[in-house]
Amino acid sequence: MSHVRIEGLTKHFDGKPPTKAVDDLHLEIEEGEFLVLLGPSGCGKTTTLRCLAGLETPSAGHIAFGDTTVFDAKRRVNLSPDKRNIGMVFQSYALWPHMTVRKNIAYPLRARRIKEGRLGGWVEKIAELVDCQNLLDRYPAQLSGGQQQRVALARGLVARPDLVLFDEPLSNLDARLRDQVRAEIHELHASLGFSAVFVTHDQSEALALGDRLAIMKGGRVEQYDTPEHVFEDPASEYVAAFIGMGNRLRCEYVAGRWVAGGQPIDGAPLGAQPLPGPVAARLRAEDLRVSPSGQPLLAELCNIQASIIDSEYGGKHIDVTVDASGTRLHSRIPAGESGSWARRLSKGERVTVSFDPRDARLFPDDGDRAAAVPPAAAADAELGPSGTGSHHDAVPAGATAVPQAAEV
Amino acid sequence: MATTTPDLISGARGAMAAERVRVNVRPALRWIGVFSFVAVLGYLVLMPLARLQSKSFADGADGYRRAYTDSRFPSTLGYTVGLAFGSLAIALVLGTLLAWAASRLPHRLRLLRVLPILPIVVPAIASVIGWAFLLSPRPGYLNAMLRKLPWWSDLTQGPIDIYTMPWIVIITGFGLTAFVYLFVSAGFANISAEHIEAAQVAGSSSWGVFFRVTLPLLRPTLIYGGGVALLLGLGQFTGPLLLGRTAGINVITTDIYRQMAQTPIEYGVAAALGSPLLMFGIAIVLVQKFLLGDQRRFVTHGGKAFKSEGRPSKLGALALILYSFIATVLPVAALIAVSLTKFWSAKIDVSKWSLDNFRRIFDESGITSAIQNSVTMSLLAVAISIPIGFVAANLLLRGRKYRVLRTLLDFIVSLPLGVPAVVFGAGFLLTYTRDPFVLYGTRWVIVLVYVTLMLPFTVRMQASAMVALGDGYVEAARVSGSGIVGTNIKVVLPLMRSALGGAAALMFVLLTHEFAASLLVRSSTTQVMGTVLYDYWGNGTYPLVAAIALIMTAVTTIGVVIAVMIGGSDALSRL
Repeated sequence: MSHVRIEGLTKHFDGKPPTKAVDDLHLEIEEGEFLVLLGPSGCGKTTTLRCLAGLETPSAGHIAFGDTTVFDAKRRVNLSPDKRNIGMVFQSYALWPHMTVRKNIAYPLRARRIKEGRLGGWVEKIAELVDCQNLLDRYPAQLSGGQQQRVALARGLVARPDLVLFDEPLSNLDARLRDQVRAEIHELHASLGFSAVFVTHDQSEALALGDRLAIMKGGRVEQYDTPEHVFEDPASEYVAAFIGMGNRLRCEYVAGRWVAGGQPIDGAPLGAQPLPGPVAARLRAEDLRVSPSGQPLLAELCNIQASIIDSEYGGKHIDVTVDASGTRLHSRIPAGESGSWARRLSKGERVTVSFDPRDARLFPDDGDRAAAVPPAAAADAELGPSGTGSHHDAVPAGATAVPQAAEV
Repeated sequence: MATTTPDLISGARGAMAAERVRVNVRPALRWIGVFSFVAVLGYLVLMPLARLQSKSFADGADGYRRAYTDSRFPSTLGYTVGLAFGSLAIALVLGTLLAWAASRLPHRLRLLRVLPILPIVVPAIASVIGWAFLLSPRPGYLNAMLRKLPWWSDLTQGPIDIYTMPWIVIITGFGLTAFVYLFVSAGFANISAEHIEAAQVAGSSSWGVFFRVTLPLLRPTLIYGGGVALLLGLGQFTGPLLLGRTAGINVITTDIYRQMAQTPIEYGVAAALGSPLLMFGIAIVLVQKFLLGDQRRFVTHGGKAFKSEGRPSKLGALALILYSFIATVLPVAALIAVSLTKFWSAKIDVSKWSLDNFRRIFDESGITSAIQNSVTMSLLAVAISIPIGFVAANLLLRGRKYRVLRTLLDFIVSLPLGVPAVVFGAGFLLTYTRDPFVLYGTRWVIVLVYVTLMLPFTVRMQASAMVALGDGYVEAARVSGSGIVGTNIKVVLPLMRSALGGAAALMFVLLTHEFAASLLVRSSTTQVMGTVLYDYWGNGTYPLVAAIALIMTAVTTIGVVIAVMIGGSDALSRL
């Protein structure tokens, strides 16, 4: 295993119009680290992975595995995929239909001429690890989707490569299998300790698997940090939205109080110190409480008035959509006992929405939501590409405010 | 894991480091390889055409002047255009209707959908001769039968004269119908069932669905298929040559042949005559490239294939059977009938039938060696074409690095589809009767023509098989440590086995049919089935002609059976 270093990686696709899929990307993957590239489709994460594999030729930059340069645009070094010591697991499994499971798994050993592995029973060992030891003599077409992906996993790992690349390997599986295979990948990584790059657009996969996450946007890394930090201190509004802070409340500090959409925020102040200009508060649905209008307000929370648009029963919880002075907010509240107030909500009912200001993350509102912060912007100013994580924006505090945002 | 195998990993690193040194030389070598590949194919395809053109422009474009000032040229042009558009109209209507009928077949009758393709299996020259046996004014079997009808009973010949323009158009139209049918059927397969069902649910009747949804969705297919059929119609040779001569009906291709068959050979005039066809062919090829663009766009189309489960139609089955009876069974039956008689006459006398003609064929060394030649040269050409096609298809699909060479290659391998075989034959005769490669009189010139003519087919069929395969299997092999060669041998070839087998068998069929180009480049020692057949037709020994035509049909049928066995029942539709 080795330390992987990516410097200034850039990939253009010509076409109409030409696109920059990856834009001056810098990443380091420590030995044995599990890095997750997270982002929506089109953010360049798969292209980055394919550049690492050698399946795509970058337009510029430098990639090194340990002290071996595998790609360098200036020195015109570009090792073909077979010359890089990697394993890869594809979204579509890509098991060769004309080979048995055993031959599929053994293929990297044969191709890389690893005699020790062929004689040493590596195939059987890895098959047992992924629980496929009984399938070795079947053909891929005779396997279920979950079994196929396990075999693909075994094939990616069998040759004990420097780096294992996962290209959304769980997206073709149904929900329950996905959790199961995800847990298996986690265990395999813990016991085998390979370095890995895992591409996904699913935040729960990313949080569960990654030692570190790189959240990508438009070919750049928006935040590069541990799952905890990303989850708790998103570096930008874009990251916050992607990591589950779906509610966006546009607020402004006017004449000594916080206002959201013309409505004052009662109770605690939203921020410790007032920020110049409007800000966007980002909130998770789970952190928004809904209570009957007219009840006494809690002074340690921010409170705003809203009316019910819709409520959906979800078993243990209820998803409530409310309108707060023109802003749609989603709240997930406990369902409570049968017959509880939460279960009897009706459209148009007036309610109070409250949240702990420490749960809110504030970002400068430059009109372009989910956008990076302009340099002039106050308090948090961090964002930029690559590196550094956490600790910015998110300032708990309080005063009054009124909503007027749009949710993402 | 590397911790358990440190030596292994460092070994791999060493290999990588060594690779770094070599890396800079490799792309250059590879580029040279690709360049020479494209250059060789370019010579093969473009040289004959270039030499022809230089001939026609010699002496101040003397060839052009003589070709286009000839008093017969306007009528030749008229016949050519008339034949092309007339047969195109017949083919478009019949082909679309048949494809529609085939798409509505009840499930258990679905094998019937191969029927409209069968006319391709019967060699064009055999089926034209079969039609002549049916519809010749005096001894034609069908004419004799029609004369039994009361209102024609006074005739001594006719009522149909196959040696006239309308009938040449109709017979040619039948031949083109199969091509249009193939295109349109493929078009149907690309329309997802949901599109049709959505229209039905929205309240359209089945006619409404056909005209408002199906036909508009087919429009690109019809335009493209129609373009190809028009091209084929303009290049028609066999029908006008065999049927048009008596009435003096000449088209451009037969005129080219006439110029090439006289002594001294009028290369310049022949080349000049071929130019409009050549231009039109190139235009069609370019338009097609422009319209279809990047082949990789067609990697996947979601959705179930078009099945009009709505109301399977018995009428459709009837239409297919009727068409097949007329277009395939009748001419072959006529061939059989004539081949069993001593003299071709309107009367069918079963008691006098014998196999004498077949015995005679196998006694005449000229005929047996022609059969042998056809088979061996076709096999040889297929054996050469398959690897060329594999390399070319690979370059076209994955050679993104070689932008210019790839575009050039794409054009070169598509061109033979746009150029009439007669023009190619003339060009080959011109090119290989002089330095640097004097091959005329050997089998090699025919093999080369065959390889050239097959380029579009071998590349296209293999490319579409590769596209269907997708990139996943190849990429998985590459990241598993296989090089390009290893990946192709261990993964791509085994997965493409059936497609390759099907392609090989189909090319064999097309080549044993080949007549137009063979007629031009043959010599007395290198005859093939088609040319020998033509010679006997010229001599008027009809029963023998019928027997040879049947043998030719039999050989290609064997090829088709092998194609279907290897490539599955869909093999035919890959044509």
